[in-house]
Parts: sequence; structure tokens; C-alpha cells
Amino acid sequence: MAALLRSSRWLLRAGAASRLPFSFRLLAGGPGRLHPLPCLPAARAGPAAGDLASQARQYAAIAAKEQNDLQEESASARGKNVGQFEWALMRLDDSVRRTGRIPKTLLEKIFMNTCRSVGTPGSNQVLLLLRSCGSLLPELTHSERTEFVHRIWDQLQKLGTTYDISHYNALLKVYLQNEYKFSPTDFLAKMEEANIQPNRVTYQRLIAAYCNVGDIEGASKILGFMKSKDLPVTEAVFSALVTGHARAGDMENAENIITVMKEAGIEPGPDTYLALLNAYAEKGDIDCVKQTLEKVKKSDIYLMDRDLLQVIFAFSKAGYPQYVSEILEKITYEGRYIPDAMNLILLLVTEKMEDTALEILLACPAPRKENLSDFGSFFLQHCVTMNTPAEKLQDYCKKLKAAQMHSCPLQFTLHCALSARKADLAKALMEALKEEDFPVRAHYFWPLLAGHQKEKNVQGIIEVLKGMHEVGINPDQDTYITYVFPCFDSVKSARTVLQENGCPVDNGTFSQAELRSEALNGNLDFVLSFLKSNTSHFSYLYLRGSVILAFRRCVDINLWSKITELFYKDKRYYLGPQGPTEAVGYFLYTLIDSMSDSEVQAKEECLRQYFHQLKKMNITISQNIYRGIRNILDSYRVPELIKDVNVLVEVEKTDSEKTSQLKSSDLESKLENLKAENQPIRDTLRQLILVLCSEENMQKALEIKAKYESDMVVSGYAALIGLCCRHDNVEDALNLKQEFDRLDSTAVLDTRKYTELVKVLEKHGKLQDAVNILKEMKEKDVVVRDGTILSFFHILNGAALRGEVETVKQLHETIVTSGLAKPSIAISSPLVTVYLEKDDVRAALEASVECYEKYKVLPRIHDVLCKLMEKGESDLIQKVMDFVSHEQGEMMMLYDLFFAFLQMGNYKEAKKIIETPGIRARPGRLQWFCDRCIASNQVETLEKLVELTQKLFECDRDQLYYNLLRLYKMNGDWQRADVVWNKIQEENIIPHEKTLRLLAEIFSNANQEVPFDVPELWYEDKTHGRIVLSPSHEETDLQNEMLKACQRKDSKGAYDIFLKAQNQDTVFCSEAYRTLVKLLLVDGYTDAMEVKQAAETHIKGFTLNEAANSLLILAQVRRDYLKEALTVLRTALDLGQLPSRMAVTRLIQAFGLKGDVESIQTIQTMVKGLEHTIGLSRMIFINNIALAQIKSNNIDVAVENIESMLTSENSPVEPQYFGLTYLFRKVIEEQLEPALEKISIMAERLANQFAVYKPVTDLFLQLVDSGKVDDARALLQRCGAIAEQTSVLSAFCIRKSQTPGQTPTLKSLTELIPELKEKEAAYTSIIRSYALDSDVASAKALYEHLTARNVKLNDLFLKRYAVLLSSAGEPVPFTEPPESFEFYTKQLKESREDPL
Amino acid sequence: MAAAALRSAMVARKSRPIAFVRDIPWTAASHELREHFGQFGRVRRCTLPFDRETGFHKGIAWIVFSSSEELQNALQQENHTIDGVKVQVQAQKPSFARESSI
Repeated sequence: MAALLRSSRWLLRAGAASRLPFSFRLLAGGPGRLHPLPCLPAARAGPAAGDLASQARQYAAIAAKEQNDLQEESASARGKNVGQFEWALMRLDDSVRRTGRIPKTLLEKIFMNTCRSVGTPGSNQVLLLLRSCGSLLPELTHSERTEFVHRIWDQLQKLGTTYDISHYNALLKVYLQNEYKFSPTDFLAKMEEANIQPNRVTYQRLIAAYCNVGDIEGASKILGFMKSKDLPVTEAVFSALVTGHARAGDMENAENIITVMKEAGIEPGPDTYLALLNAYAEKGDIDCVKQTLEKVKKSDIYLMDRDLLQVIFAFSKAGYPQYVSEILEKITYEGRYIPDAMNLILLLVTEKMEDTALEILLACPAPRKENLSDFGSFFLQHCVTMNTPAEKLQDYCKKLKAAQMHSCPLQFTLHCALSARKADLAKALMEALKEEDFPVRAHYFWPLLAGHQKEKNVQGIIEVLKGMHEVGINPDQDTYITYVFPCFDSVKSARTVLQENGCPVDNGTFSQAELRSEALNGNLDFVLSFLKSNTSHFSYLYLRGSVILAFRRCVDINLWSKITELFYKDKRYYLGPQGPTEAVGYFLYTLIDSMSDSEVQAKEECLRQYFHQLKKMNITISQNIYRGIRNILDSYRVPELIKDVNVLVEVEKTDSEKTSQLKSSDLESKLENLKAENQPIRDTLRQLILVLCSEENMQKALEIKAKYESDMVVSGYAALIGLCCRHDNVEDALNLKQEFDRLDSTAVLDTRKYTELVKVLEKHGKLQDAVNILKEMKEKDVVVRDGTILSFFHILNGAALRGEVETVKQLHETIVTSGLAKPSIAISSPLVTVYLEKDDVRAALEASVECYEKYKVLPRIHDVLCKLMEKGESDLIQKVMDFVSHEQGEMMMLYDLFFAFLQMGNYKEAKKIIETPGIRARPGRLQWFCDRCIASNQVETLEKLVELTQKLFECDRDQLYYNLLRLYKMNGDWQRADVVWNKIQEENIIPHEKTLRLLAEIFSNANQEVPFDVPELWYEDKTHGRIVLSPSHEETDLQNEMLKACQRKDSKGAYDIFLKAQNQDTVFCSEAYRTLVKLLLVDGYTDAMEVKQAAETHIKGFTLNEAANSLLILAQVRRDYLKEALTVLRTALDLGQLPSRMAVTRLIQAFGLKGDVESIQTIQTMVKGLEHTIGLSRMIFINNIALAQIKSNNIDVAVENIESMLTSENSPVEPQYFGLTYLFRKVIEEQLEPALEKISIMAERLANQFAVYKPVTDLFLQLVDSGKVDDARALLQRCGAIAEQTSVLSAFCIRKSQTPGQTPTLKSLTELIPELKEKEAAYTSIIRSYALDSDVASAKALYEHLTARNVKLNDLFLKRYAVLLSSAGEPVPFTEPPESFEFYTKQLKESREDPL
Repeated sequence: MAAAALRSAMVARKSRPIAFVRDIPWTAASHELREHFGQFGRVRRCTLPFDRETGFHKGIAWIVFSSSEELQNALQQENHTIDGVKVQVQAQKPSFARESSI
């Protein structure tokens, strides 16, 4: 054995170590606690208490994630299953957290729901059920629990659940917790049969199973297995061996294990010592226990309360309850103690050790406040369930009451006894109550009667009634009516049977009960005869209720009247102060009063008849009573009033004002016209400014503003300010702002413009102006939203990163003191950042502390701490810690230190910190640090965080592992992800689906087999890949090699590897094929198709993705495989993909040139509704269908169509956008002379007859562009209006001026239409073209022409001209505009966007 | 019986002086409630629904007083203790009455 263990040292250092980081192996001993199953066969607290907290945590963990995850879910059928899982989890988690256990009924319910739900239950739902069958059921005996888990296992298997390794490991864990005796070899065989590979966790648990029965030989066998498989031997194994040796009676070797471990390089942790402690406790060796505890205390190992609870259980189970008190003294009562203690107490009661349970209970620091004083209830309840003798229970009740742990323990216990229908115990407890002078009442017996009544158990009923008599209680009316009578055929037979069986029957009560019972059945005849034969002289008051009941149950006006008459006439019923009139009147009042309004409405007619009948009988009521009845009847007519409410329903006013979108050029000319006509221009001016601003045309907007300054309105200024800010034009922005204020000092900009102003001012060093703007924001009460605050932060942070201390301080001060933003951590952090950037950590610390003093926030303290640690400033660190712990509490300080130590890689110190007693999980802080680690890819730091928080109270383990997996996924590190998968099982975490999905993703991305079922629908695709993939290394290697080649864009190399794989019959995953297809499509269509075909044969349902399909379409168009391309387009659209604009456009154009109208129309139908999303031009179908028609000799049809579209009122495109340029160009290029002629005629006709000038102008321009100047001139002569289409012409100039070599075209154009030169947009473009082509002479001519004409040239023109001149070495005849060339380029860009 | 009485209590008109009582210990039944609330006025009706299956009541009850003054008396008392257990007493919300009258 020892040899075997020693050799594990080698194991650790060699083989395994390279695969698994050491830190992970150390971790492995953690909370699994499977080995210290230290007690004798029956039961152990060990896993009970030990696992409890970790399970509670994992439940809590997953539950906390529910919200997020639900949001992620699609509305698929899966949603229901997920919902069910979350529901179950929440319920179980809540139960475990509050009470340390799961009630069997709850687990049963969840199990039933799982079975009943549609489809196969989710993998984690199954895991949840299995894992709940162990120590979380302390109220069940071990055999009951194991029976339960087997029932679940078998049932779910029948329902189609596929178990994976995590389920088998969970089952093992439950076996261990339940001390179930099983054969590990059989278990392994069962797994093998199911084709499940055991993993490290499996072996560890099997070793623990052997050790629990002291079978060292068996354990060694498994250990041998592990060794042969190069699996790391962890602390868990050693701890199990301690237990194993001890149970084999070999304490010496048990103790020796610790030395062996150390030799093997594994430090014994709390688990090992706990195993040892339990071993001593089982032997009743309190001295050794104490010595070991002392030893542990001196080391840096920390035993938790729940560890001590295990020792307590070990002592009591082994028959040494006398030592319990000594261990209890050592409990520190951590926050997590209560549920753990509750679990143990229940377990002890189940194990018939109630006295010890009470001892622990009484020692609990239970909340003794008045409202929570019934802490001991769970104990009493379980004692009742476990049939603890009544005397003992009475004693417990006294003790609990004395200890103020329960306010009314006897009553509670009685309640439990009654609920459980334990009659004898209940009777004993009632006697005890009586002794305490607490009354015993008839209804105490109802629960007992209810049980018998359900079964119609007459004998049982009789016994209870007798029991009542013995306690001195007489059954009341309700007892008879509700619980006794229903068991008999009739009330009569009830009376007989009861009397025969010696049940004393009180005649009065029984008779009244009988009357009531009959009344309830609506037996009016009985009521009448009863009243007539009423010999017992029951007063009317006792009977009235029953009579009214009977009236309401049965409508019989005749009997009603007879009974009423009796009241009126029979002296028995109106004796006393009331006369007959009052008696009947009051009866009627009560009758109506007892009915609901609807009842009265329903019986309206009957009541009417009844009253008439009474009238006929000369029965009268008093005025007073009448008023009372009238009031009731009046109040019952409420519904009429309700009707009127409807009238008040507000009719929503719909008021939609449509503003027509006008173009800036139109507006400008409109403005000029208005001005010329001396009409008010404000509104138009405002519109124009707004349009220019939306077009981002700053220069033009400013010009217009300057030109019409006196007519500017506030909103125009506001838009201009925003525009200038966006264009970083601080001077103009500031000037405009001042003008804006002068115009109206009360006017307010919107929030964004203010922040933009602040930003641009601050950026240009105008600090005071920025401060003023901020102050103004406050004064004018500008709305501050979250986004505004974020803007503030960015402004401040920008300044901080530039190291501008003053700026940050002043702006921050202004923002915070003016109350624009609360001094949050975020908004204050730049104050610290500015110093951290300067590496002045002292100043940074001071700034942070100052923030705290001023605003109670401590920004960037983590970074400050890290910096301090880095610099070894221990005094300052101490100062920080004192400060934080004084100001924010010790917990915050501990977390700050913990994170800083982690960050700095000082894990030893970090560990000490996080093990501080009393520290609990702060999910927000942990997540913050996780996100930080992920963002900066700090793998080791995050791993350490996860490792060190393993035992942290209420720590969301699943979430932490999820974070770790996020990071691994980022790095594509499946090996580490696999370690996490093992750890999740070892720690008994039930992973959330989100976590499982992530794990599966990591595995399949790395082409590894996913070791569990991923229940998602949308993983189908990946699953395909997985199924096809066999895990052979060679295949994976080939695929990786191929992918690498793809990455290098080595298409030939990649293709060769593909061919090799084909020859070897090796299959890649879908994604790999897609990548290859995409690469090949660039230049190797045939190869790409071959790969696609191969993928389709290998992988069922293989499809290309959006990008690949678009590329494929383009490739096919290039090769003129148009039909195939159309098919691909259809496939892509069917898959819900959105092919690229380029692909669709090219395909349509190809069909146009082919003259294939039908195909274009097919595409038009296919993409209907998607045109905008794809980004297709609105003219593409019109142009190409026309072209196709022309190509297929249907010129007339084409012309007619276009003409009708343009002259129709429902034209799909407005005339000014009806661009036929593409069609004209193609017709000219393809030299389709007859078509050109007809089109030309159409264009002219449209211009001359319909005043639609766009087509003729476009045609004219295309003629110019293709060098057909003469044709163009002729056209111009026939249609002079072309020259007036300035906007179309200018747009053409602008477009042309963007590419070099267009000077001739522009020259021809300006020769044809000379006045065009003087249009600003035109000359600006033309000069650009000249500059591009370095045509100095033409430029000079243009300049001279324009100056001669006194055209006011803009700066842009002058700048360009000046640069052109100076680059040609010529003198510049004017001052070159001062701004940079970039500045004007930007302006040019804007003017180009201006469609004029 | 109980159900019918409960319904009639709930159906009561807005102005009805009804106290709604919660957290009633299982040991107390309607007799104890009448006795306790009898201190504040005449209890016209006391409805304490029992669960026939379990034989225990549900811990809630409606107490109908004769007048709203009596209800006010009951509401003004800070603590109501029945069988040593503090019960919660509040005026029946009128919404109940309205709901049932629709």
C-alpha cells in the first residue's frame, strides 16, 4: 500500500502534471468530502453536514442565474423544460438554504413533474434529482433514500434519459452518503455496459466506498487503476485511506497516511484531518481528537463548524454522546452554521439519537426574538414523525420553552401529532396541555376525524368520539355535521350506531346539528316538521341560521311561507321582547341580508311571490325593518351605476403630423424665392438649417446662417451648435452658443448638445467655458439621464488619461457639487486615474480617500492597492486597510485585500484572507473581479479565485466556473475546460445549462467529444459535427492542419489536405468545410464545389453560411453559372440568410444583360420585403427588367413600362429619384441603337409633355459621359430644360470629380452648358477634377472666367486652386485660405454628400 | 356551511364593518374569536374557514361587527393575542365587496 502511494509522487510530478496544472490537483480534495465518511455503517453526519453547504451554494448559485438565462431562451419548446428546471431548483435551493434539508414531499413532487413533462428530462434536471437523494434528506433513513434514488434512476431511464459520467458520479456520491453497500466492481461493470468511461472522480468515490467498509485491498485495486491511467492522486484519496485504515482497525497506518501524503508532495488539508478526527471519534478517543484539533489550530488549516458537526456525529453514532458537549464548545457559529446544524439535528433524530439532537439544538444561537421564537419546531416535528415517546417529547417541550426556543412547544407538537394523525400521542399531549391549564377544544379532534371520514371509517370515528369524551370534550354541531354525519347513511343511523357503541350523545347539540345538516341539504320539509315538533324549546335565535340556510338552499315558496307563518304565529318563536311582527320582520331582513346581491337578483321573482304570499297570510313587518330591507335591496342594485363608467373611457386622440422630407437644395431655392418676394422666411430657414445639419453639411449650414442671421431661430442655433460640436469646431460652437443665449437667454439646449459642448470645450482647453456650460445645465435644469452621466465619465476619463489634473478636478467638482450627477464610483474614478496614469500612487490613494471623505465612494481602490503592493508600501497598505475597514466594514476590506493579493499573484495571502471566519460570498464583487480577469485574460488569477473560493459561504460555484469557462473558451483551452468538467462533478455542482452549453462549445470547437448530452436544439449543427467526428487523433490533426492553412490563406495547401483527408475517408466538421469553401471560392470555384459536395455527402444537412453563399453566388456569376447562382440564392434565403448586396445585385445585372426577364422577376419575388435589409437600390429591378426586355427585343414593352411608371401617380419611385443611368449606360455601351432611339424619344416626351426631366437629363449626361457629345448637343437643343436641371447636373459633376481622368467629360459638359460652371457645386467639383488631373491651364481658365463673372468663390475652391498652382510652381494671386487642407477636404466631403 | 357564511361575509357591502384576521393559532376556533372580538362590540358573524381534508383551519377569519364604531374599537387596539399568539387584525378591504358584487 505504502509503496503504491509513494509511487504516486512520481505520478504527480511526471505524466499527469503536464496535463493538469498543479493547482487543480490541490483543489481536488475540496468539498467533495467523499472520503471522510467516518461513521459506522448506518449513517454519518460527514457528508450530511459537509455537503450541505456546498450543495446549498450550488443551488443558490444556479438559482441566481435564472433570470439571465431565461432571457436567453428562445420561445422554443425547450423553454418549458428550462422553466421547470429553474422552478425545481428554486424550490430545492430555498428549502436547503432555510432548513438544511429537502422535504421528501417536495422531491417527490418535482420527480412527478419531471416524469409527467413532455419529452426527455434535461440532463441537469436529472442530476438535480439524483443529487438530492443523499444527505439532503436527513428525515429519511438511508435505505429509504437509496430506494428513492433507484426509483428515480430507473424511472427516468425508462423515460429515455441517457446518463453520462456526471450522473454515475452523482449516484456514487449518493451511495456514499447513504452508506449503501454495493460492489464497486459491479458498478464499474454497469458503467462499462453503458459505455461510460469512469473518470478521476469515479475512482475517488469508489476508493471511498471501499474505505468506508475498511477494505484497503479493494481501495488499492482502484488506486492501481488510477495509477495505470495516469490519473492524479489527490488529497481526497488520501483522506479516504485514513478512514479506510481506521475502519480496518489500523489506527497506526491511518495516522501514517499524513506522512505518506507529505512525502508524495501533497499537503494534508482540512479533509484529511477531518477524516482522522472522525476516526478517533469513532473510537471514542476524545484525547486524540482534542490533540488533533489543537494541532490543526496551530497550523494554517482551518476547520469549519460543519467539520466539527461531523465529529459530533461520529462520537454520538459510535456511542459516545458524552463528548458532544466538548466539541460543541469549539463551534464558532459561523453564518452558515444554522442550516448545517438543522440537518444534523434531523439526522440524529432519524437515527434515534434525539437527546443529542436536543443538546445541539439548545446550543444553537437561534434568534430569540418574539416573532422568530419557534426555531425548535423542525426538531419537534421530526420527533413526532419518528415516533419519539410522548414523555420524552413533553420533556423536550419544557426544555425548549425554558430556553425560549419555542413559544408554545406543546401546542405545536400536538399540531404535528394531529397532522400525522397519531391519536395516542395526541391524547397524551392534550392531557399535558390540560395540566398546563391550556384548554382542549372540540376542533382539536377534527384532524383525526377528517382522516377517518375520508375512509368512511365508522369505527375510527367512534374511537375518536370516545377519546373526546375521555378528555372531557363534547362534540359540537360542526363536529357532527362536518365529520360524523357524512360517514353514515343518515343522521338517524348515525344516532343509532353511536348510541349502540356507547358514545355519549348530547341530545340538544345532536338535534341542532341534525337540523343544520338537513337545512344544508335544503330539506325544508324536515325543517318545518322539526320546528313544529320542537320539544326542546330551542330559542328562535339558535334556529334562525339553519332556517335561513334551508331557504337559500331550496326555493319552495309554499314551504317558505309555512315556516314563516310558524314564526309569526307560534309563541315558541316570538317569545321575549319581540312581538311577532318584529320577529318575522327581522327574519326577513336577515334572510335578504345573508344573500348576496346576485343571489337576490336571481331569486327576484321568487322573493316577489314569497312576499305576496306572506301578504296574503296577513303577515306584517315594521316600518323600521322595512327601511332596513329597502336599504339592502337598494344597495344591491350596483351594476347600473357601473354602466355609466364606460362613457368616461378616454378616446385616444391620434394626431399624426407628417412632415415632408424636403431636400436642402429645394429649401434653399425656396428660401431665396421667399426672400426675393419679401415674405417671411423664418420657418423655411429653420427647416433648411435642420436639413443641412442632418446632412452634416457644416460649411453650408454656417454660410446660410451667416447669410440670414437676423431670421435665425433658437432651434436652428441648437442644431448648428450640435453640428459644430460633432465637427470639433470649438470656435463656432462657442460663438453660436453665445448668439443663442443672446437670442433667448432662457432657451435650453437638449442634454446631448450640452455634453457635446462640454466635451469639445474641454478638449480644446477651454476649461472655464466648459465649467460654465455645466453650471448652466444645472441652472436650466437640463434632464440628466444615465447616458448623460456616462458622457460625463468619458469626458472626465479622457482628461484623466491625458493627465490633466486640473481639468479633471474642476469638471468633476462642478458636475458633482452642482448635483448634475451623483458622485458615484464611476464618475469619481478619473480623479484617481489621473494620478495612476502618472504613476503617483500616493497621490492616487489620497485622491481616492478624499473622494471617500467627500462623497463616500472609494474609486479604484483595487488598482491603488495593487500598485501599493507592487511598490511594497506596507505602511500605506496598512493605512488603506484600516481606513476601508473603519469606513466600509471589515468584509469590504477583506475583499479588497483578497482581490489585490490575487491580482499580485500572492495566492498564499489571498487564501488566508478568504478563509477568514465569517466571510461570505458577495456575488457582485466576485463577478466584478471575474469580469476583470476575463477582460485582461488573466487565466491564472481567475483559476486561483475559483480555487480559493471553493468553501466560501454561499458562493455561486456554477457562476464562477462559468466565468472560468468563458475565459477558456476565449483561449480555446479545452484541456482546462475538461479539468473544470471534472471539478464540477467533484464539487457536486449542478451545472446550469448555460455552463453546460459553454463547455460543449469549447469541446466541439476543439473537435473533442462532448462527454454529456447538450439538450439544446440550436446545437444541432454542432452536434452533427460531433457525431460524425470520431475522436481519432489523426483526423483532428488533419483538420487542424487544414484550418491553419486556411488561416494563412493558403488555398492550395488547404485543398491538398482536404484531398488527403478524402483519400483517408476522414471527415471534418461542418465549420471546417465552410472555412475551406469560403477560401476556395476566391479563386477556385471548381475546388470549392468539390469540397461543398464532399461536405454534403459526409454531413447530413450541411449548409454554407451567409458569407460563403454570397461568395458562391459571386463566383457563379463570374463564371456565368446563373441558374446555379439562382438556386444558391434561393437556398440561402430559405435558410433565413441575408446574402450580400453585391451578390444579389450582380446576379440581377447578369440576368439583365442576358435578357432573362423571368429570372429577375423570380429574384424580385424571392427578396420581396428584404430589399431594404439587403440594401438593394430601388431602381435595380426597374433598370434590369427594362434592360432584359430590350435585350430580348421587347423594346416597346420596356419603354412603355418605364413611361407608365413615371407618369403614374403610384410610381414605385419618385421622379426625382427615378435614376435610369444604369439602363442608359448599358444601352449605349452595348450599342443597342434602336433601343437608344426609342428611349431617347420617350425621355424627351416625358420632359416635354409631363415635365419629368430626370430621365432626359440622365440620358444627356450618359451621352456626354460616353463621348457622344454631338448626340448630347442635339438632345440639348431639342430639350433646353436639361440645362436647368442644376441638381442632377451638379450631382453628376460631383460624382465625376471623384475619380481622376474625368476632366474631358466635365469640359464637354461645361462647353455644352456654360452656365453650369458658375454653380457652386459644379465649379467646386470641376476644380477638384482639374486638380486631380493637374490640369493647371483649365483651372486657370475656370478661375478667370469665374472672377470675371464676379462669382464669389468659396474657400474650398480657392484652397484647391491655390494648392494646384503652388504644386505647379506658379504664384497664387490671392491669399491662400488659412485652414488646413484636411479641413477643406472634410468640407468637400460634406458638399459631396449634399445632393444639391 | 363555512363556505356559505364566508361568501356572505365577503359579499357584504362596502360599508360593512368587517375585520380580517390573520395568523390565528390552530388552537383557537370561532368560539375563541367571538369571545375575543366580543370585547369590542357585537360580533354578528364570525367566519373561520376550515380545511376539511386536514381538519385544521386556515389561520384566517372574517369578523362582522354590528357597526363601524365597533370595528374601529377593534382596530385601535394595538395587539390582539389569542391563545398566547399575536394575531393580525385589519379592516376588510372594500375591494372584496366590490369584486363580489360584480
